Amino acid sequence: MTKLRVSSSFSPAEITMSTGTLYTYPENFRAYKALIAAQYSGAKVKVAEDFKFGESNKSAEFLKKFPFGKVPAFETADGKYLSESNAIAYFLANEQLRGGKCPFAQAEVLQWTSFADNEILPVSCAWVFPLLGIMPQQKNANVKQDAEVVLQRLNKKLLDVTYLVGERITLADIVVFASLLHLYQYVLEPSVRRDYVNLNRWFVTILNQPQVQAVVKDFKLCEKALVYDPKKYAEFQAKTGTKQQQPAKQKEEKKPKEKKEAKKEEPEELDAADEALAAEPKSKDPFDALPKGTFNFDDFKRVYSNEDESKSIPYFFEKFDPENYSIWFGSYKYNEELSKVFMSCNLITGMFQRLDKMRKQAFASVCLFGEDNNSSISGVWVWRGQELAFPLSPDWQIDYEVYDWKKLDPKSEETKKLVTQYFSWSGTDKDGRKFNQGKIFK
Amino acid sequence: MCDVATVQKIANCLGVVPGEIQLNDDQVVTRIGAQNNRVTGFATILESLAVESKSEIAQNSIASPEVQAQVYQWIEFAVLYVGPGSKDKHVSKQLLADLNNLFSSKSYLVGHFLTLADLAVFYAIGDLIKSLSPVDKENYLNLSRWYDHLQQRPDIHQGETLLNFTTIYLHNWATGTHL
Repeated sequence: MTKLRVSSSFSPAEITMSTGTLYTYPENFRAYKALIAAQYSGAKVKVAEDFKFGESNKSAEFLKKFPFGKVPAFETADGKYLSESNAIAYFLANEQLRGGKCPFAQAEVLQWTSFADNEILPVSCAWVFPLLGIMPQQKNANVKQDAEVVLQRLNKKLLDVTYLVGERITLADIVVFASLLHLYQYVLEPSVRRDYVNLNRWFVTILNQPQVQAVVKDFKLCEKALVYDPKKYAEFQAKTGTKQQQPAKQKEEKKPKEKKEAKKEEPEELDAADEALAAEPKSKDPFDALPKGTFNFDDFKRVYSNEDESKSIPYFFEKFDPENYSIWFGSYKYNEELSKVFMSCNLITGMFQRLDKMRKQAFASVCLFGEDNNSSISGVWVWRGQELAFPLSPDWQIDYEVYDWKKLDPKSEETKKLVTQYFSWSGTDKDGRKFNQGKIFK
Repeated sequence: MCDVATVQKIANCLGVVPGEIQLNDDQVVTRIGAQNNRVTGFATILESLAVESKSEIAQNSIASPEVQAQVYQWIEFAVLYVGPGSKDKHVSKQLLADLNNLFSSKSYLVGHFLTLADLAVFYAIGDLIKSLSPVDKENYLNLSRWYDHLQQRPDIHQGETLLNFTTIYLHNWATGTHL
């Protein structure tokens, strides 16, 4: 009751006066909720100019206003701060969008808002983010089946009703619509969405409302679903690598905390990352199945770290056990696409991080040759077993496909030369580019 | 159906004073407006009402020349086909099936919002929908959804008893039989 009185005490004039600044990166589906709501209510919203995701929202000034550093975030004209997209959308909406005067209808709006966050977003992110290359692909995950359950539920609901709550568009429609955008944009190709006739009808209706068109510009329903491309994720990691190295290092020592760490660093992929972590199986060391042999990686790594290469390299060949271990040469397939040296280095260290569990039974020296916009990546790898090690674990399969792998004969002179060159970080690549930087996987 | 009562209802819906609505000597519906101007013919009268109205439905109906043309087309359809066809058993069956099929992919007849087209067809098809048994309605779930959506609005039902569509929830128990 109190609530009703409060909302009705606002005169329409007051409501249209709610103004402020929205902080977001472009085409953020979460920000869409707030912007569409504002279109309906007439609230005046300014989108902050020159906002840089990952920079502006990490600045001290921003964090003072919004301690979580997440976007979208809203600052009212009279200096109050609001975060969380649903809350911002609620604030910018009008009474009609919030469900009208009836408390039950208002509760229904809330119900669908929660449904969008708890049911739609997790399946949407788990399906779409790996395809966009902003999250590694989960093997054995039934993303499509999981999404199907949610979409069918919505489809069934929308057979009988035009809108989700009552007979007019509410925040329920806006929030659920925004949460479905990625699915309809990237994966629900015509043959797939054929199963969701009623949901399609509703989606297209919402999409074509003038208030929605004013915000969601040039949206096209998916023609052909995206397919997974491991390169994309590697590139994304390279670009954002510096940012994500930190939590990964802590990962080694503090396993139980890793969930929280990941959250802090990647606000946008929160739901997806959560999903991914929850789905991660407790794995044993995949190398356990292979015979141990006589080569001891720990001993070699100690010698390599502490001694000069003139000692450690002969030590390597003396101790190396060709029966049970193998040496490989891996060269990056897309050297012509490498640009900045620091990005390429992030590409390498990112791969190392994702191969974390392989460290115990492997060693590698991967080098970058050349300079900005003219460089190549290649490396010498050693691991237990005679076969390519990456297929042993689903965790290791993210990057290896972007490299060409060649097994080296441990007895040949050529191999000795290559090993010496890479372990001592010297020489040039096959096109004559000079050694620039090296990274050791140990 | 292109009768005096329907014009009055639509005028109420649009929040426009209908003026005097009557049938002229040729039995064509005629509106005599405030300035004693005469407008004759159902579709033309609706257009004149829309021009005077500030309501959302009227604004939607004249959003663009294309929309306006399509709305006009549906009003003609309501007058020439829905009204008379409702009285014929075979024609009406086809009519219901066609509309049901159309509403599987659309929420409204024209564009993506409520227009005069919906109102005209809604009032024209009312008697036919009323005559359907619950089992009949089960065959036209999309049409039922559209009709129910419109009749729930106070400005459209204008105090009339609402038709019951709750039986369509039967499909929750027998989902296999429905699209």
